[in-house]
Amino acid sequence: MTSISVHQLQKTFQTKRKAAGLAASARALFKPEYSTVEAVRGISFRMEEGELLGFIGPNGAGKSTTIKMLTGILHPTNGVASVLGFTPWKERQKLAFHIGTVFGQRPQLWYHLPAIDTFMLFGKIYELDDREIKKRVDFLSEAFEIQDLLETPVRKLSLGQRMRCEVAASLLHRPKLLLLDEPSIGLDVVAKQHIRDAIRRMNQEEGVGVLLTSHDAGDLEALCKRVIIVNHGQIVYEDKVSNLKRKHLTTKMVEVRYAEQVPADFKLDGVEVLKVGRYGVKLRFDTNETPVDSVMSHLSSIGDLVDITISDPPLEEVIAKVYKEAPTA
Amino acid sequence: MKNLRFLFALWKANLQAAMEFRAAFFTQIIFMILNNAGFFVFWILYFDKFENVRGWTVNDMMLLFGIAATAWGAAAYFFGNFTTLGEVIAQGRLDYYLSLPKPVLLHVLASRSIGSGMGDVLYGFASFVLSGYFTWDGVLRYVLGVVAGVCIFISFLTIIQSLSFWIGNTVALSQVALSALLTFSLYPSALFNTTTKFILLTIIPAALVGNVPAEFVRSFTWTSLLQMAAGALVFLILAVIMFKSGLRRYESGSSIQVEV
Amino acid sequence: MKKYLAIVQMQVINNIAYPGDFIGRSISIGIFLFIFAGLWKTTFTIAGTDVINGLTLANMLWYLMMAETIELGRPRINRVISEQVKNGEVAYILSKPYNFLLYHFSFGLGDSLMRIGMNILVGVGVTWLLAGPPPSLLGWLMALTTMVGAWVLHFCMMALIGLTAFVVEETNSFELIYQKAVFILGGMLLPLDMFPVWLQGIARALPFPYMMYAPARLFVKPEVDLFWQMLAGQWIWVAVLVFALAMAYRSGEKVLTVNGG
Repeated sequence: MTSISVHQLQKTFQTKRKAAGLAASARALFKPEYSTVEAVRGISFRMEEGELLGFIGPNGAGKSTTIKMLTGILHPTNGVASVLGFTPWKERQKLAFHIGTVFGQRPQLWYHLPAIDTFMLFGKIYELDDREIKKRVDFLSEAFEIQDLLETPVRKLSLGQRMRCEVAASLLHRPKLLLLDEPSIGLDVVAKQHIRDAIRRMNQEEGVGVLLTSHDAGDLEALCKRVIIVNHGQIVYEDKVSNLKRKHLTTKMVEVRYAEQVPADFKLDGVEVLKVGRYGVKLRFDTNETPVDSVMSHLSSIGDLVDITISDPPLEEVIAKVYKEAPTA
Repeated sequence: MKNLRFLFALWKANLQAAMEFRAAFFTQIIFMILNNAGFFVFWILYFDKFENVRGWTVNDMMLLFGIAATAWGAAAYFFGNFTTLGEVIAQGRLDYYLSLPKPVLLHVLASRSIGSGMGDVLYGFASFVLSGYFTWDGVLRYVLGVVAGVCIFISFLTIIQSLSFWIGNTVALSQVALSALLTFSLYPSALFNTTTKFILLTIIPAALVGNVPAEFVRSFTWTSLLQMAAGALVFLILAVIMFKSGLRRYESGSSIQVEV
Repeated sequence: MKKYLAIVQMQVINNIAYPGDFIGRSISIGIFLFIFAGLWKTTFTIAGTDVINGLTLANMLWYLMMAETIELGRPRINRVISEQVKNGEVAYILSKPYNFLLYHFSFGLGDSLMRIGMNILVGVGVTWLLAGPPPSLLGWLMALTTMVGAWVLHFCMMALIGLTAFVVEETNSFELIYQKAVFILGGMLLPLDMFPVWLQGIARALPFPYMMYAPARLFVKPEVDLFWQMLAGQWIWVAVLVFALAMAYRSGEKVLTVNGG
């Protein structure tokens, strides 16, 4: 079952161009000059029900604009979209009953009130009856581990705690689809982990589809099965996350430690030496160019290996590489 | 209907937020009552000296003041965002309301509460009670007048602040508009010439907030009722049209700063 | 001394740079004078005389113009001061090489100078239209002289209200009440000449008439005896309030040094 279907979605903004100075401002009043910003240039994709889809891209790539169009807040210049069977910008209120949104930089919870009060208010907004709300709150506060935080005024919570409450609030009405726009912005590593775990759990237990935009690759890695990478308003890559890593970067990083001291001029063919210490070396190589086998046998022939660590490059690198390789219109 | 329950939920949330700072809330109310009473001393002194001005006595002044204060207070307390709508629009905060399944304008307006407004409501009611017009049908007419006044306050400011959809910053303009509306509403139209009276019924509908409802309470006439009802209705409709039209512009993305 | 003059200058320039504020206030003056012109025209017509308690209609309107000018030119430093007290900034200022109160005095003065000037311009314009030519030069002289004392008194009161932030959460409410006291007992809305005698007595025992009534009244009907009376009264009250202010400030300082800001 498709939950989102988007075809050739386009959004062009006309912003008034205003140069500095009084004369220019006066001119702008009578003969305004517009500059055109093509934020989204023909995006097409599908998302299945209950899927965990990532929408990654640098600032200005068109992520937020796309999300706004999918929630009906913004009308596209061109193109077609269907979210849960609704055309978002035409049936915004109806769609709102079935989706949850969390905009990382725009809080929904009332600042001075304890989260539970906002939850009750949201219950009324989504037209749930009191018993339903209560059951739901109990379930969500357990899932997000916020039971003890419910009665504390939101202004007294840490950012991580607040975000957990925010995401919980967006799930009160059992939406079929959750749209998260930069949910982990400003959070520390532990808080991020917390939120990702809770969201994953909700997806598994309730089948809530999650469309996540972020420019934090960690979110992607932890949360998404499939990823769409956008840049300059267009899709530059679309695949499963696992494939992304496997196909696109064949670099490996190896760290080894020897029992004896390492010669200072340590070198190895087909391998980039990153660091040479007294007893250890850190190096990087492309498995396409230099087979793993030859590197490993070389390393073990040099001396007695005491320790070895082999790792994949961080996802950031992978994505950065994709940005660079992508065709720019 | 469901929207009414929603409205009550919003008002409850606002009250809860105010209770987080109880002392400040009650202080604001008390001081607003004192503030209004302090100003009214002027009228007591004036009428002590001049007793009757074109048929108006101090009692009529208390009635007028009472109605206008209650209308202002109710608008401020229950729909507090009506004075800051322009800022909400200019700062892009409408997105929050747009992503929820409730009527946007209503949601925005009732999402804020000006605590001192309750002081004005209480003072206004007391002023009305003491004015001598506190009879059964007097109360009914008072309530009608206040409802009309609330509609006018909210609609007038909504119309002006909806301009934010087009020109961005309307803070100065809305402050002046509000100040003009509020100030003029506290004085009987009998003080002014015909042109001004006309302006106060149309462009700056202050008479519809104060004078007309006051006359309506003094004695029922179909003219006053019609003026109040028509005025409130027209302004309400205009406000909704302005806001909806601006919202369409906002949704097409051409109004304010772009966050790509 | 120089540093305070610099602060004054800076605020004057600051005010010139923001004309929007000025337009808003001009409209306020306009509305106020327009409404009260209507009120007093009606009153005089009904009373059937040209003079009430020694004042003509023209007198009334010019009186109100001067009163409103002073009201709008009042230094609103109570907000700045209470902010600084509440967020602890006041502790830092104490360590700077200028006196806290003198700093705010200069700040307020610079702020007010421009505003009073502009208010007078607009006020004169509007009132001329409504009531004919302005009062005599003597009236101007007496008004401007007593305006100094009035301003200083306002400053002291505003500063005192600001300093209550050491003790209370909400100080803006006090400003509202103070404003009403000035409106009524200070004769802003109704000149003391029109008060019942017993109230005149009470009002004169308080500082409020010296903040408002004195310059406004001397403006429209300059009388030498009244002038010296008012002037003396003003500066006596200035002495009292400055003393109170110094005391309040001293105890505020103590609170700071004990609690550490």
